[in-house]
Amino acid sequence: MERITSLLKVLWRPSTNFVRTRYHSEKTRIIKRYGYEEKLWSGGLMPRSLGKRLPMPEYRPLNPWTERRALFGQNDYIDILGSGELHPLRTLYTIPSWIKGVSGNEYQILLRKKKMFAKTGSPQVRPTKWKELEKRLGFLYRRLNRKTKTGFSST
Amino acid sequence: MTSLLINALRRIHLSLPTQTAVKCFSTSSYNSNTLDITKKDWKFPPQYTKPREVWIENLDSIEEKKLGLFELHPAVYATVPRIDIIHQNVIWQRKFRWVSWAHTKTRAEVRGGGRKPWPQKGLGRARHGSIRSPLWRGGGIAHGPRSGKSHFFMLPFHLRIHGLTSTLSAKLAQDDLHVVRDLNLPSDEPNYIIDLIEQRNWGPSVLIVDDTDIAPRNLTAALDALPHVNVMPVYGLNVYSMLKHDTLVLTQSAAERIEERILCHLHSNTRKQQAAFKLDQV
Repeated sequence: MERITSLLKVLWRPSTNFVRTRYHSEKTRIIKRYGYEEKLWSGGLMPRSLGKRLPMPEYRPLNPWTERRALFGQNDYIDILGSGELHPLRTLYTIPSWIKGVSGNEYQILLRKKKMFAKTGSPQVRPTKWKELEKRLGFLYRRLNRKTKTGFSST
Repeated sequence: MTSLLINALRRIHLSLPTQTAVKCFSTSSYNSNTLDITKKDWKFPPQYTKPREVWIENLDSIEEKKLGLFELHPAVYATVPRIDIIHQNVIWQRKFRWVSWAHTKTRAEVRGGGRKPWPQKGLGRARHGSIRSPLWRGGGIAHGPRSGKSHFFMLPFHLRIHGLTSTLSAKLAQDDLHVVRDLNLPSDEPNYIIDLIEQRNWGPSVLIVDDTDIAPRNLTAALDALPHVNVMPVYGLNVYSMLKHDTLVLTQSAAERIEERILCHLHSNTRKQQAAFKLDQV
């Protein structure tokens, strides 16, 4: 028997190829601990909700047809389509008169407010508010006149 | 359009008499039992463009009936719809009434904070002069919003007129403008209005404009339950509402009134209205 095999080896020698490297993609995987479920969360960071529901507010779409929204802008062209005596500003009833139609920076608006409230009871009734108003005006006066460039001046 | 009118006239066996009226906004109408055709004589007749014709519809039945033909002035209802001007008008409408009341306190206004929290040197701690500094929790806010921020400005007078004409023209060109004879309804049921809008494909919302302040009882009672159908007088009409509502329904008198007001401004001296806005003018 041994003689036959040695004879065969002499007669027929298969070509062999030495494999020096085993590629990772060709390796067979061993499945470890099959059937075990990982109980630890590995999906990234989670908020600390401490058992409570997440603070995501429920989506409540606005009603676009409330009376205020449905009739927004009414009477804005009253000086064109009306008799021409009324300015649209006169129809903005909800805006306080000291700021209605005023445009300007904070200093200008506060100055107007102070001017209009000075003769009312406001300085006596709300002394802290009045003091803060005057303090803010003083601060803005100094900032505008001493720290910022004005108009066309180069300095 | 003219051929359409002539055809319509032929159909009802009527001949067109010559126009003789010269008054400002006189109308001469030809009544038959089926169709009412109105030819208008404007004080400022259109020069290069033809008047636009619209059907006069009815509101007293759910099915649409064409009651007549009506002419609209092309300077008001058929100008070039400049969407940039429409946009400027909407922005103006939103801004000129907008006052922001957001408010934060500065370090000077937050209570306390006068004492130096700890000595400048010798403690190994950072130097601080006030517990109300913006760096501190509970301190003042630097560069925060200050209450009473106004966004007011006035859009130039003629831009506002062109906003109105552009929007009206766009509505008419897109078949979203309808003229009705009057606002009398047979019932005060909201379902009647819903069916009518559904039948005539008027879309999800309708703005009804009348010449008078007082709408008929049946209409107001029906619209109480329908927030997306609104009534306005002519002087309340504006660009924002026309864009917000899908369909614009004008009564015949309202259409004439709008036309008259805008034509009047387009052909008169508006130097006073064009002057820069002054606060004490209103």
